[in-house]
Amino acid sequence: MIHLDHLTYTYPGSSEPALSNVTLDIAEGEFVLVVGPSGAGKSTLLRCINGLAPHFTGGTVRGRISVAGHDSVVEGPQSLSRIVGFVFQDPEAQFVLDRVEDEIAFALENGAVPPAEMRVRVEEVLHLLDLAPLRDRPLETLSGGEKQRVAIAAALAFRPRVLVLDEPTSQLDPQSAEDVLNALTRLNTDLGLTIVLAEHRLERVLPHADRLVYLSGEISGEDGGVLSGPPRQVLRQIDLTPPLVTLGKALGWEPLPLTVKEGRAFARRVEPGAAEQSLCRSRLGDGADPLLCVERLSFAYNGASTLSDVSLTVRAGELVALMGRNGSGKTTLLKCIVGLLRPCQGEVTLAGKPLIGQETARICRQVGYLPQEPDDLLFADTVAEELSVTLRYHGLEDQPPLPPTQLLERLGLEGVMAVYPRDLSVGQRQRVALGAVTVTHPRLLVLDEPTRGLDYHAKQALVRLLREWQAEGAGVLLVTHDVELAAQAADRVVILSQGEVIAKDAPEVLTVSPLFAPQVARLFPGQEWLVVEDALSALGKAIPDDENIEVRARLSRHQGIGCPGSAADSSSRRIIADRSTSAAQDPNPPGA
Amino acid sequence: MLDARVWLVWVLTTLVAASSARNPLYTVLLVLVTTVVGMVCASDDGPVGGPRAILSPLRFATIALPLSALFNALTVHVGDTVLFRLPGWLPLLSGPVTLEAFVFGAQNGLVLTVIFAGFAVFNQVTPLRDLVSLTPRAFHEAGVIISIALTFVPQTIRSLNRIRQAQAVRGYRMRGLRDWPPIVVPLLISGLERSMGLAEAMVARGYGAISDQVQSLRTSAGLVVGLLTLLGGWLTFLFRPAWREVGVGLMIGGGALIVAILWLAGRAVRHTVYRSRRWTVRDTLAIVGCGLTLAAVVLPSPLGRGTLYYSPYPRLTLPVFDPLVGLGLLGLLMPAVMITDKRGNK
Repeated sequence: MIHLDHLTYTYPGSSEPALSNVTLDIAEGEFVLVVGPSGAGKSTLLRCINGLAPHFTGGTVRGRISVAGHDSVVEGPQSLSRIVGFVFQDPEAQFVLDRVEDEIAFALENGAVPPAEMRVRVEEVLHLLDLAPLRDRPLETLSGGEKQRVAIAAALAFRPRVLVLDEPTSQLDPQSAEDVLNALTRLNTDLGLTIVLAEHRLERVLPHADRLVYLSGEISGEDGGVLSGPPRQVLRQIDLTPPLVTLGKALGWEPLPLTVKEGRAFARRVEPGAAEQSLCRSRLGDGADPLLCVERLSFAYNGASTLSDVSLTVRAGELVALMGRNGSGKTTLLKCIVGLLRPCQGEVTLAGKPLIGQETARICRQVGYLPQEPDDLLFADTVAEELSVTLRYHGLEDQPPLPPTQLLERLGLEGVMAVYPRDLSVGQRQRVALGAVTVTHPRLLVLDEPTRGLDYHAKQALVRLLREWQAEGAGVLLVTHDVELAAQAADRVVILSQGEVIAKDAPEVLTVSPLFAPQVARLFPGQEWLVVEDALSALGKAIPDDENIEVRARLSRHQGIGCPGSAADSSSRRIIADRSTSAAQDPNPPGA
Repeated sequence: MLDARVWLVWVLTTLVAASSARNPLYTVLLVLVTTVVGMVCASDDGPVGGPRAILSPLRFATIALPLSALFNALTVHVGDTVLFRLPGWLPLLSGPVTLEAFVFGAQNGLVLTVIFAGFAVFNQVTPLRDLVSLTPRAFHEAGVIISIALTFVPQTIRSLNRIRQAQAVRGYRMRGLRDWPPIVVPLLISGLERSMGLAEAMVARGYGAISDQVQSLRTSAGLVVGLLTLLGGWLTFLFRPAWREVGVGLMIGGGALIVAILWLAGRAVRHTVYRSRRWTVRDTLAIVGCGLTLAAVVLPSPLGRGTLYYSPYPRLTLPVFDPLVGLGLLGLLMPAVMITDKRGNK
C-alpha cells in the first residue's frame, strides 16, 4: 500500500536531511506504529506519505514515495486526500467549521461530492466513530477525545484507504485516549483501513499495532536509522520501551508480552519469595512541614461550579501528582493557587502565609508555575535572555537567587544559551520555560502537563531534575495524564473529578483504579508495585541499564531519609528494595 | 432552527429599525426585543456565549452609553438646560455642557447597542456553514475565508489571555509600550503557527484541489467592465443632468453585467451543499414579522410614523410613544416565538 524507496527529505534552509535513505513497505490493512525520540523525523515521515512534505513545507526530496500506486511527490496532498486521511495532534487546530456534522461534510462539499452520496458518507463515519448522538453539537462543547474522533471522522469522509495520525492521543486523558484507539482498531479490523500512527506513549498504542517502525534519528546508516518489523522483534533492539516490555526484557519473558493480558500469564508464574519480606517503604516529604495548603477551595466560571471544596497539601520535598480526566478542574486549581483566578471561597497558604488576594507576580516569586503551553512564555532572542527577563520582572537582576548559568547547566541547556528559544526541540523549549519560571528559586513548583509531546528519555530527564529539586526541599505539584509518570515520580496522588477531590493521600488508588493504574500495577494486582524498578527490586532481579540511574538515585536518597513504616504499611507509595538487590549494591551510585 | 436567510433579513430589519426610529422609547424597546431573541434563540440555534460571542450586548451598552453621552455632551454645546461650563482654553470642548446634549448622546449609544445586539444574535445563531452558504457561489472561497476569520477572532482573544497569564507568572506587569513585546511576540507567532496549521490541515483534506478552475481572465475582465460601466453611469447621473436617462441606463447595464458574470462564475464553482435546508412555515412567519416591523418604520401614516423622530433639542421634552409603532417593532420577536413554539411541540 505504501512504499518508500530510498527516501531522503531535507527541510528548506537545513543542511542535514530530516530523513535519509529510508526504505519502507507498509502492506494494506496494517496498523503501523511509528516511534522514536523527539526530532527523529516521525512527523516528517508521516507528512511525506500524503505529500504535505514537500508540497506544503517546501524542501527537497530524493527517492520515491508511492501510496496505492500514486506518487505523493508528483500528485501532492490535495489530490492524495482521497487516498490518505491525515489527523494532526491538536484536533481544534484543524477544525474549519463549528458543528460536528458540518465539519465532517466540509471536505466533501469542497470536493463537489454529490449531496446524496455525501449524506451516505457522513452517516457512515458518524456511526463508525460513535458520533451520531453528537452530530448537531457545537465542537466547542465536546471533550478532547470526542473532538479527536470528529477529526478522524472528517479525515475519513473521502473513504481513504490509509489513515495517518500524528500523536493523536498526546493531549488526552487515559480514558479518552483509549476511546480514540479503540475506534482506530475498529476501523483497522472491520474496514481493513491501513493505519500509520506516530506516538510517544507506547504503552497506550502498542497493544493495537501490527508493526513497529522505529526512527532512531541517526541519518548516517545505510538503513536511514529505520528499524521496521513486528513489534516484538523491534522492541528487543530499542531502548524506548513501555514498562511492560522493559520488565519482560529484564525477566527474560518470551515471547515478549505486548499487552497486560499477555504479561499476566508470565506474572502469575513469578513468585515474589523472600525479596518481598525485605521491602521497606517510605515516601518523600514524610514528616516534613506542609508547604502548600489548599483548604476547601471552590471556584465557579460564569456561575457553573468548576471546583468544589477542594483541599490538598504539598509538603516540602514532596511531589504530588494531580490527576483526573480532561475538564475535571486541574488547571483551574493551579490557576487559583498562583492567583490567576480568584476562588469564590477557601484558603490557599504557602508556608503558612495566605496567597489569595496577592498579586500573581508576587506569588510567583515563590511559586514556579509552568503552564501547559510553554511557548506562551518564550519571546526573548536567546535562551539566557529568557531567564534574565524573569529576573528583571522580579527586580532580581542584580542579585539572582540562583545564577542563571548554573540553572541552565542543570537543565542541560548550557550548549544552547545563545540560541533563539523557538528554534529548539519541544523538550528543550519546555526546559527553557521551566528555567524561566524557576530562576527565582521558588519553594514550590506547579507544573501543568509538562511531559506532553516528550519522549521517554526527555521525560526521564525531567523526572531527574524534579528529584534534584525535591532533594533540596522544593515541593512539586504536578498535573499529568501520564499514569506511568505519576507512578514513577509521585509521592502522593490526588485525583479530581468534576471539580471535586475523589481520592487523595491514598496512593494505592494507582494500583486499583482501572483508569489510572500503570502497567506494572495491572500486571501484579495486589502487590502495590507501580513501576518496573519496584517489581524488579522486589523480585531481586537486576534492573536494566536505562533504569539503573533512576533507581540508584532513588535508593541513595531514600537511604538518607530512612524507611519509616513496615512492609505491611499499605498507605505509603514507595517501595524501597533491600540492600541485597543488585541495584543497591552498586558501589558508586551516580545520583549519590 | 430558522433558515440563515431569515436571520439575514432579521438583522437587516433590525438595522433599518434602529436607524429609522430615533425615539428613545422605541430604541429601548428594540434593545429589549433583540435581547429576548438572543436569549431564546441562541440556546436553540447556536452556542450561547460560544466561541463567537466576544462581548455581551449588555456589557456593550455599559460602555457605549456613557461614552457616547459624554462625547456628545463635551463636543456639542447646544441645548437650553446648561449643567456647567467648560473653560475657554480647552479647544473644541470649551462651552456649555447641556442636559439635552447628554440625552442625545445617550440616545446614539442606545442605537449603537441595538445594532450591536442585532449582529451579536445573528453571529450566535447562524452556524458558520450557513454563513458560508449565504455568500454567492462565485465568492465561495471568500466566504470560507471570512468564516475562518470569524473563528480566529475569539481564538486570538483566548491566546492573548493565555499569554498574559503566562507572562504574569514570570512577574510581568504592563507599565507602558515598552512592555508590549512579551505579549505581542508570542501572540503573533502563535497566530501564524495556528494559521499554518489550519492551512496544512485544509490542504490535507483536499481543500483547493478543484478551485483553480474557477477564476478565469474572462470573469475578471467582465467584472471590471461591469464596475466601470456602473461607475460611469453614476457619474453621468450626478454631473450631466441632461443625460440622466443615459446614466440610469448605464448603471442598470453595468449592474446587470456584474450579476450575470457572478452567476456564470458561480455556476463554474464546483461545490455541493450537504443537507440543504428546507424552507418552513416558521421561516415564512418570521419573515412576516420582519415585514411588519419594516412597515412600522418605513411606511407613512396611519402607523404613526411621526413619533419615530425625537430630538431633545432645544429643550428636553418627553418622547411620544405610539402603540401601533411599538406593536410593529414587536414583529422582530417572531423568531423567538417560532423557536418557543417549536420547543413546545417537541
